[in-house]
Amino acid sequence: MKPIVLFFRLFVWFSWRYFMKHRVRALIVIAGIALGASVFTSVRLSIHASLESFSRSIDLITGRSDAVLSLPGGRVPEDILPAILRQPQVRHASALMTTYVKTTGDDADSFLLIGFDPFSDRPFRRWQVQPTDLAQDSSWLGLITDPFTLLLSEALARRNGWQVGDKVTLVHDRENTVFRVLGVLKPEGLGLAEGGQVALTDMATFQEFSGLPGVVDRIDLMLTRAASDIDLEALRRQFADLLPPGVQITSPSGAKESGRTMIRAYQLNLSVLSFASLFVGMFLVYSLVALNAASRRHELAVMRATGASGNLIFVLFLAEGALLGAGGWLAAIPLSALVVKYMLHGVSQTISTLFVRVHVDTIILEPWELLLSFAVTVLISLLAALQPAREAMLVEAGEALTTSRLQRSRKDTIGKLAVVSLLLIAVAVPLSRLPGYAGIPLAGYVAILSLFAGFALLAPWSLQRFGAALSPKLHRLAGVPAYLAGRYVRDSGTRTAISVGALITAVSLFTALVIMIHSFRETVQLWVYQTVSGDLFATGKMSAVNQFRDSIPDRVREGLQQLTAPVEPVHSRRFVLKSGDFSYELDLLDLEAFLRYGQFIWVAGEPATVQPRLIDGEGVLISEVFANRTGLAVGDRYLAQVQQSVVDLPVLGIVRDYRTKGGVVFYDRSAFTRSYVDPSWSTVRLFFRERPENLETALAALRREIIDRCGSHLDLIAGEELRGAILRVFDETFAVTFVLLLIALSIAALGITTTLAVQVLERLTQFNTLVAVGAAVRQIRATVFWEALLLIVAGEIAGLLCGFMLSYLLIFVVNVQSFGWTFIYSVNWKALAASLPLIVGTALLAALPAIRLIFKQPPAMLLRDR
Amino acid sequence: MSMNSPVTEQSLLIFAHQLTRIYPMGRTDVIGINRLDLQITTGEMVVLKGDSGSGKSTLLSLLAGLDRPTGGQLTVAGVDLAAATESVLTRYRRSVIGMVFQNFNLLPTLSVMENACLPALLAGLAHHQAMVRAEDLLRWLGLDHRKDHLPAQLSGGEMQRTAIARALINEPQIILADEPTGNLDSRSGETVIELLAELNRSRQRTVIIATHSNLADATATRLIRLKDGEITGLA
Amino acid sequence: MRTKRSIAVFRNGFESGPTTKVSRGDEVPPENKRTSGKLRFCVILLYVALSAASNSNFEAVAQQSDAGYLAVTGPCQLQFPTDHGAHPGYRTEWWYYTGNLQTDRERSFGFQLTIFRRRISPPDALKTWPDSASRWRTQQIYLGHAAVTDIAGGRHIFAESIARGALDLAGVRQSDGRTTVFVNKWSIDIRPDLHRLQATAPDFSLDLELHPVKPPVLHGDRGYSRKGDAAERASCYYSFSRLQTAGRVQIGEMLFEVSGSSWMDHEFSTASLQPGIGGWDWFSLQLDDGTDVMIYLLRQDDGNVHPASSGSLIDSGGGSIHLTASDFTVGVLDHWESPQSETTYPAAWAVRIDRGAIDITVGASLADQELQTAATTGVTYWEGSVDVSGTAKGRPVAGKGYVELTGYAGAVEALQ
Repeated sequence: MKPIVLFFRLFVWFSWRYFMKHRVRALIVIAGIALGASVFTSVRLSIHASLESFSRSIDLITGRSDAVLSLPGGRVPEDILPAILRQPQVRHASALMTTYVKTTGDDADSFLLIGFDPFSDRPFRRWQVQPTDLAQDSSWLGLITDPFTLLLSEALARRNGWQVGDKVTLVHDRENTVFRVLGVLKPEGLGLAEGGQVALTDMATFQEFSGLPGVVDRIDLMLTRAASDIDLEALRRQFADLLPPGVQITSPSGAKESGRTMIRAYQLNLSVLSFASLFVGMFLVYSLVALNAASRRHELAVMRATGASGNLIFVLFLAEGALLGAGGWLAAIPLSALVVKYMLHGVSQTISTLFVRVHVDTIILEPWELLLSFAVTVLISLLAALQPAREAMLVEAGEALTTSRLQRSRKDTIGKLAVVSLLLIAVAVPLSRLPGYAGIPLAGYVAILSLFAGFALLAPWSLQRFGAALSPKLHRLAGVPAYLAGRYVRDSGTRTAISVGALITAVSLFTALVIMIHSFRETVQLWVYQTVSGDLFATGKMSAVNQFRDSIPDRVREGLQQLTAPVEPVHSRRFVLKSGDFSYELDLLDLEAFLRYGQFIWVAGEPATVQPRLIDGEGVLISEVFANRTGLAVGDRYLAQVQQSVVDLPVLGIVRDYRTKGGVVFYDRSAFTRSYVDPSWSTVRLFFRERPENLETALAALRREIIDRCGSHLDLIAGEELRGAILRVFDETFAVTFVLLLIALSIAALGITTTLAVQVLERLTQFNTLVAVGAAVRQIRATVFWEALLLIVAGEIAGLLCGFMLSYLLIFVVNVQSFGWTFIYSVNWKALAASLPLIVGTALLAALPAIRLIFKQPPAMLLRDR
Repeated sequence: MSMNSPVTEQSLLIFAHQLTRIYPMGRTDVIGINRLDLQITTGEMVVLKGDSGSGKSTLLSLLAGLDRPTGGQLTVAGVDLAAATESVLTRYRRSVIGMVFQNFNLLPTLSVMENACLPALLAGLAHHQAMVRAEDLLRWLGLDHRKDHLPAQLSGGEMQRTAIARALINEPQIILADEPTGNLDSRSGETVIELLAELNRSRQRTVIIATHSNLADATATRLIRLKDGEITGLA
Repeated sequence: MRTKRSIAVFRNGFESGPTTKVSRGDEVPPENKRTSGKLRFCVILLYVALSAASNSNFEAVAQQSDAGYLAVTGPCQLQFPTDHGAHPGYRTEWWYYTGNLQTDRERSFGFQLTIFRRRISPPDALKTWPDSASRWRTQQIYLGHAAVTDIAGGRHIFAESIARGALDLAGVRQSDGRTTVFVNKWSIDIRPDLHRLQATAPDFSLDLELHPVKPPVLHGDRGYSRKGDAAERASCYYSFSRLQTAGRVQIGEMLFEVSGSSWMDHEFSTASLQPGIGGWDWFSLQLDDGTDVMIYLLRQDDGNVHPASSGSLIDSGGGSIHLTASDFTVGVLDHWESPQSETTYPAAWAVRIDRGAIDITVGASLADQELQTAATTGVTYWEGSVDVSGTAKGRPVAGKGYVELTGYAGAVEALQ
């Protein structure tokens, strides 16, 4: 107890008062840390919220089932339900159907309609109807007695202003159907699924509404206690005679796990990215603690001389780091509250676009996440303070006796650092080659960290070389101030280098992301124009949001067949299938016609020889993502259960594809019909046989004809519009990334401000001496300006180098291991050329306060102080 | 050792034999102290004289346990300083030695009172006990009206008196003063020497002052002259 | 008449959870009482129970009852085996088995297995169905209640099952003189000389074969059993008053080979309890001289027994006589207060039937045979195995039976 009290007393006397005396510096550092910590915390919280919302929704919909019967790419015949139910292993069985629907009106949001049997579902899922005073039959039993009734979630009812008894028209790909609102669900259980965007209806109504009699999406099973231990494989064998061909028994956790895995990969990516801000903030802590240690060297010696142990000094300085970290974390809390609002929207939007639908409207203040961000922030601050604290502890008591003792040369340290840093940089390459683990490119992240650390540690050495090489030239070019600046940069040692390290990190992050995003976008753009080709896309209403799982209604199909416009159709049917826990699409399309108008972007396989074989149905094309996830290569065989058929085909080629929810397998639709079953189609893209003179007019006429022949139950979108939309989604997805980047850059700018200011303050006497020997104040300011410029330019050059290496890691390691895709490497020289000078400019602006500090006080006063 | 305990005149307090301290400076070595023999008994007031670089400060810092000899023997108050570990040295500094510096070396963020208390606290004394001792000392030194001021608000003499309070707080056997008057005007300088002599006379402290001024000559029991790290004369 | 109004007063939705309740349960969700209180005033059989969300739909249902339902207004002309089957034109119907069983080593069990059928919308509502209706669409739902009383073990375990009468999940099948009534995994199979009962719940299961010892007994006037003032306040009601029973009862991991005697009721009607009747006490007793007794007392809110209360006395040869309210007296000898629901039930009775010179006392074989279906139905009642002793025609008799006590915990059920 006593040592702790003593420690705190000393900390207040020695460190806290010093902080207070120089509070602007401390506040800047805390602000930097706070920015980093708030970004880190809010990114984590946002993704956590999305992850939770996703898991909760899945859990609520999955309920307490032990196993699920489903038919890949199709639906399960309902007839098997009673037989399954009466199996001794089965305790309860419940059939379920779901689809996204929306109400009429263009801006209506879609919500999930769940069709179920309220009786047999009872053991599986929990829900309650809110009591109402209305004197009408509002009981849920009405779901069964009255056709076309539904129960709404509270959120849905509130947002649309719907009340019990209201009529609601729901849109599906067939007819619009009027439902009566029977009741409103309490916000619990199923009423919270899909973020509350959910409605329940009876299975009978669902089938009648969707035109899918006789089938259900899936049958959930609860097993008896005795059977709950047996594995699904055994259950499959036992049920073999009961199950129609293709019907599978799977674990209900599969969907959740694959979704969670994808979100986690994204979480890790963003966490690492947001951690970069904290990492940059770490340099701030380092520079301040190191400054304190250096400028108070004499005081330290006195402390030591009066009986303070080295360990005490060490812990005092560590505590300074911890204080900065904790202060930054505290300041980050209100900041996070602001940042998180933006993040939450961006992040959940991105997750919905890329992976799985999530509905998040509230942040859960997850204590664990707060603790994590606290721990991470304080830890990196401690780490940053470690080295200066060690230096401080080594100050010898004897220094107290001398007013000026020669500083020992640090050349050997710098040399050693250079070797270590080169090692760190070198090790990044082999590290990055290690395989990822469970979709997490751990080695890739370590390689990135090693790269950052290597380049940051290289800063002292490269500054020394840079300064040494440049100062003679600068002398000739820009006179004495520039020369002095060059010399200073050469001799300033580790401390200056640290803020340059921050800049290197930020610039390299910037460079790498600019390159990666550019490569990504260029590749996606190429893909969009070649593979997502077509002049008009037509698909059933709500078909897209329901993953195109149903074929187009007959009436619409017949209508489209009678089109007189000079267009060629390319039909496509997509099945969402699973390979292990990983969902992908099997895209059956009219390849012959497609390849006449569009093409694939090949990664492996020779298009000239493969394409004819592809058209003949000899094999499949798989996307890069699918190949990376499954390990399939050209020549391997692709195996899948599609409805009742077992598909077994060779892989002919690998192509790029950036549709967002998993990988794709392409196969010819007519070949599929020949070998297996007519899959019908769910989407058609129409190509004008001849490029019309006026595309707009031709498209308008085509749309009119389609609506005349098929009615309004189709979603029509022009190819240009669709491609624009895809690229827009792409850009939105990276909005969050850019915000993170800007924050990292501003923290680096803060670093420049503090470092230069501190250096100016430290050298005031030196400057006064210069004045005494005849330097003009203007010249001294110019010197400092040149110093800043040199540091910034050096930081940028190193940052660029690091950034290029980093971009390689991001594109060819992190993206492959996290998401399974790569891009065509392409550097956005224009953006780099435009933005790097901008960063120099901004950093120079950040140096201005330091330059203005010079001679703020009259020189005489400064001299007297010494 | 308590302030009032009787000290035998004859007891040997400091014993140095062939004491050497050499600083490596780049490619050459700089000699601080060279093969010095010295014996000081309890209760002496020794003035070390010599020019800059004569080895005064080196000797003082060796005696203070702030530096280690590179050769020879040095035993102070029974502690073998040549062989002591860092933690022994720390304890030694806390309990045996009180240091007064030319440039005062007060910690700028600590008040007069806190500066005075610091060594006692570091030595493990309870805060209130340290306060009582410090108040006594500050009263004795005529600083009680200044005790809450920061060093920056003090005159040179007041700063040095604060430093003396700090040096005395742990009731050390030996007071080491390195040019204590060097940064003081002559009147303040006299006061400081007067205080150190008083300590030696009425409180039986062994006082060693390194200085090149003559202010302390009159009060010294022994004068030692140093040149190039060697004793050139005694008085 | 055994109306189990208790059947299923669902709350507004479903809590997922085990459907088996052991009556030792130590918690009573507060909602339970509230719902029960509500029910006191909405005394419509199952329908109310099923649509508990609104207690104001009594009128609506009353009108609906005219909307095409069949009504029981006179003798039922029951023909077997056809009438073992379902009568979907009536609103409510049940097949009800109770019995007392024991192992070779005299360990005694009581059991109950009931399947209820309920038509949840009137025949006219068929007009609102879509042209090509889903196979899930139905107007019939089925509910099962099963219970076992382990008298030696002091346990009473209850489970229920519910399903729509569609897609082969629940229903009644008849072919070749054989009737199968089933709900989910439970079934009652009725053949001319064998009834087979099978029910599996998480904590227990029943698999019993029952052989009728006597022919079916038509209660009231040739099966026309009055339950109130008006002619249509009535049901069609017959019983197999004595079925020789053997089979297996499993409780937890323990399997018991058992034998004993059971009772079967089959009853259907459309009318609900008349206002003013708060509940009933129903007795089915099998005496060791071969006589069987069925008595029900309709308890009025004023404390009197409604004059429509009646019974049947069946001799060992199967001949039966109808008992009117004036033919018997039932006095309560003892009470038991449920620690869970704090409801007080009669626990022992003195029963006198002048026409059979029967003077017996009836007492619960286990005090706690209360059914608290809190999680799902919110209704509380007592249904349990009883022991009988006394005299008949001057000679000492003993016996066993089942008693059902409703309306004590607030939830009422009576045909109004």
